[in-house]
Amino acid sequence: MTTRDEVENLIARVGLGDRVAFSALYDATSAKLFGVCLRILNDRAEAEDALQEVFVKIWQKADTYAANGYSPMTWLITLARNLAIDRLRMRKAGSVDIDEVYDLADSGPTPEAAALASSERKQIDGCLDELKPDRADAVRGAYLDGYSYNELAARYDVPLNTMRTWLRRSLINLKDCLTR
Amino acid sequence: MTAADDHNDDVPLAGEYALHLLDADERSAFEDRLNKEPALRLIVAEWNADFVVLSDDIEPVTPPAQVKAKIDTLLFADPKKPRAGWSIWRLMAGAGAALVLGLAVLVVVPPGDETIAFTPRFAANIAAEDQSLVVRASYSPEAGVLRIDQLAGTARPGRVLELWLIAEGAAAPVSLGVLPDQASTDITLPDALVDQIDGGTLAISDEPIGGSTTGAPTGDVLAAGAVISI
Repeated sequence: MTTRDEVENLIARVGLGDRVAFSALYDATSAKLFGVCLRILNDRAEAEDALQEVFVKIWQKADTYAANGYSPMTWLITLARNLAIDRLRMRKAGSVDIDEVYDLADSGPTPEAAALASSERKQIDGCLDELKPDRADAVRGAYLDGYSYNELAARYDVPLNTMRTWLRRSLINLKDCLTR
Repeated sequence: MTAADDHNDDVPLAGEYALHLLDADERSAFEDRLNKEPALRLIVAEWNADFVVLSDDIEPVTPPAQVKAKIDTLLFADPKKPRAGWSIWRLMAGAGAALVLGLAVLVVVPPGDETIAFTPRFAANIAAEDQSLVVRASYSPEAGVLRIDQLAGTARPGRVLELWLIAEGAAAPVSLGVLPDQASTDITLPDALVDQIDGGTLAISDEPIGGSTTGAPTGDVLAAGAVISI
């Protein structure tokens, strides 16, 4: 298991152009980041391309890491998640297929929502639990499945503006809880 | 106290941004502000730190070996520093043009030779970025031969170099064998692999004597190069 300090140190060395550190960082973190890409894209070939893009970005941006205030795994996972979601959006942009939206509506809550482990959690799960279940699921769906407002509105069968109001209010409640 | 306390309207907005819920116009307006407002960047960073916990349940999945080989090719195989937005394909096209020039000198086929001419249709420049290992591969479908020219570098003492083909879209690399310690080697490709050369990547890994015993590279990938049609 690679500790936070080790990952931080590897990122710093990658920022200096150290290729050995880059390979070590890849070995230590690629499986988690590939898991994240796979989870969001649900397509192996696309997740491989996304992971490739993630590590190119890491190589290019590692020198700015220290200044951005993120913990190392948050930085890496956020980078992977955001790139995967951008790809997902590009894929969907070509086909605004109403069937796809209905398929999403039929698929029910994500397994994660049901299977959240209770221990070793920061507050966010407790705080999400304070929201109504469907609103907590909407936040998780936006984060883990990259659902857009349109998809969320279809999924929960509410008008788009209602969905926006819901989600914004959920975020305010969530932040209130997180900073209590 | 957090930075969020003074920016109540911005808290949900930053959350929507972190979740990728803003539409293109809203997003670009928000990013303009992000560039100017450190406090807003902090709110986004806090949201990302909050949300990242949601990924705790995502199981790690070991990516196939060719992904790292492709990343190394993309970042290190071309002497020019890759620029943001360059695709691997464009880099490879550039490498391909250079390779065609090189091969024009290399390939000498005597006219009227009665043996099947070695006419390369595909080639790859398998090189470490620092040029410590440079191997040129060329493939002639007519002759059924993959010719390997070791131009620079050898295996470390007590180790060997093993050649791998990572076919386009394949889940795992396939070994083409351990490279003998000689300048030039002809490899007869198994029929099953002949069609997989085009678009694939050739890579060389550092392995124990006798080669990998696992069927997959066990040591460092020292060099990689895309196969291009010439």
